[in-house]
Amino acid sequence: MLRITNLFAHDLHILTGAYALDALEDAAEQDRFARHLRRCSACAAEVRGLREVSTALAFAASAEPPRELRDRVLAGAARIRQLPPEVSSHAKRRRLPAWWSRIPWTIWMPRLATVTAVIAVVAAVVLGVAQSDTEQRLNQARAQFGQVQAREQAIAAVLAAPDVRSVTGPTSAGGTTTVVLSAALRQLVVSTSGLPALTDGKVYQLWLIGPDVTKATVIRSAGLLPLAALGLTSPVLASGLVAGDKLGLTVEPAGGSKQPTTTPILLLPLPA
Amino acid sequence: MSRVDPTDPPVEQSAAGLSSVPSAESGELDLDRLLRRVARGDQRAFEQVYDRLSRPAYGVIRRVLRDPAQSEEVTQEVLLEVWRTATRFDPALGGAATWVLTIAHRRAIDRVRAAAAAAEREQKSADYHAPRDEVVDAVEASLDRERVQRCLGGLTEVQRESITLAYYGGYTYRQVAALLGVTLAAIKTRIRDGLIRMRDCLGVS
Repeated sequence: MLRITNLFAHDLHILTGAYALDALEDAAEQDRFARHLRRCSACAAEVRGLREVSTALAFAASAEPPRELRDRVLAGAARIRQLPPEVSSHAKRRRLPAWWSRIPWTIWMPRLATVTAVIAVVAAVVLGVAQSDTEQRLNQARAQFGQVQAREQAIAAVLAAPDVRSVTGPTSAGGTTTVVLSAALRQLVVSTSGLPALTDGKVYQLWLIGPDVTKATVIRSAGLLPLAALGLTSPVLASGLVAGDKLGLTVEPAGGSKQPTTTPILLLPLPA
Repeated sequence: MSRVDPTDPPVEQSAAGLSSVPSAESGELDLDRLLRRVARGDQRAFEQVYDRLSRPAYGVIRRVLRDPAQSEEVTQEVLLEVWRTATRFDPALGGAATWVLTIAHRRAIDRVRAAAAAAEREQKSADYHAPRDEVVDAVEASLDRERVQRCLGGLTEVQRESITLAYYGGYTYRQVAALLGVTLAAIKTRIRDGLIRMRDCLGVS
């Protein structure tokens, strides 16, 4: 628990200065702090301000470069093709801050930390992990979360949702599935632990299964599970959750299927 | 794609409230606009960006690397990187000068921390003990420099030394802590507090 608390505590925030001077220890620490910045808008604002001090320090160190450098650089530019703009990710970045920055993080940060910790602990307990193993599990879970940077903010939003709920269930093939969901966001985050490894390129596929069997859309794919690392799969984010849905899990041929082709190894009722 | 429109409204400045830094004061928005033109392949705009930012870029790289030939090489790399990636510049995350000079400083730091360079530099910087004098040496009769100098002068000894050792010396905060003989927790705090004081000092014109 201590480490999780530290992750969000002053300890990390105080590194804004060293980060603005590029004085963090190594790439790992830099990545960890950059991730923290994405979650902490106050820290990001502080870094922006401190970076301007770095800029001032650079201006104060101004020195005249050799005259030939100008010609070389300009000639070089004439020969180098520029990168295309990042259209999709740029749009994403533009879209996110609009609602992201409206979230009162100072209020939510402790709750988010608590929710994350609670989920990790619940998962650990349900998995029957020995007490001594818990810390390692938490680290693994955290590492798993860290790997999904692109969807990280969306996942964090689910974890931080006021109506966040969590449910865990064993599969008939062994292993456990943990679901964190927000009915308001209509999104859920699924991670698994200890599922048997599959052969022949087969994959685990998630399904949302509605209560009304007469509807054509009663079974919707909720995505494929990524390959497990150390027995854990990194969180899968699925949208379009409807009240009364159950979560299903089946084994499907490589690439997944449009509808389930095998008997589900998990049918988990989801809290409304 | 709206960001390449030269008629874009001015970009909101940092939430930290620092609306002006030296040299950027009158030209930051123009630089942002120039960089957007660079993103569209405008070589004349790139020339102007070169003329505005090559001195601080070369200056800070040279301060960190010391070796003039290597510094020139890295400066060239950095400025061509600016040309190549100008399409990825996002004014929402900071001004153009900060973007370019962050790339410059990081590239210099990368060089320093590459294992091979480290050993070589060890010798060249053997006499490196007086960061404050270095800063003083670099001062020209420029208002910008005077302001930075004055603000650095307003810090405590440890704050000033930790900032100059980290930024100009290219040391990590652990290395700075070892050099100054203080704890890691203390050095993190000194660097942050010092920079915040600098920010407030520079922000007051």
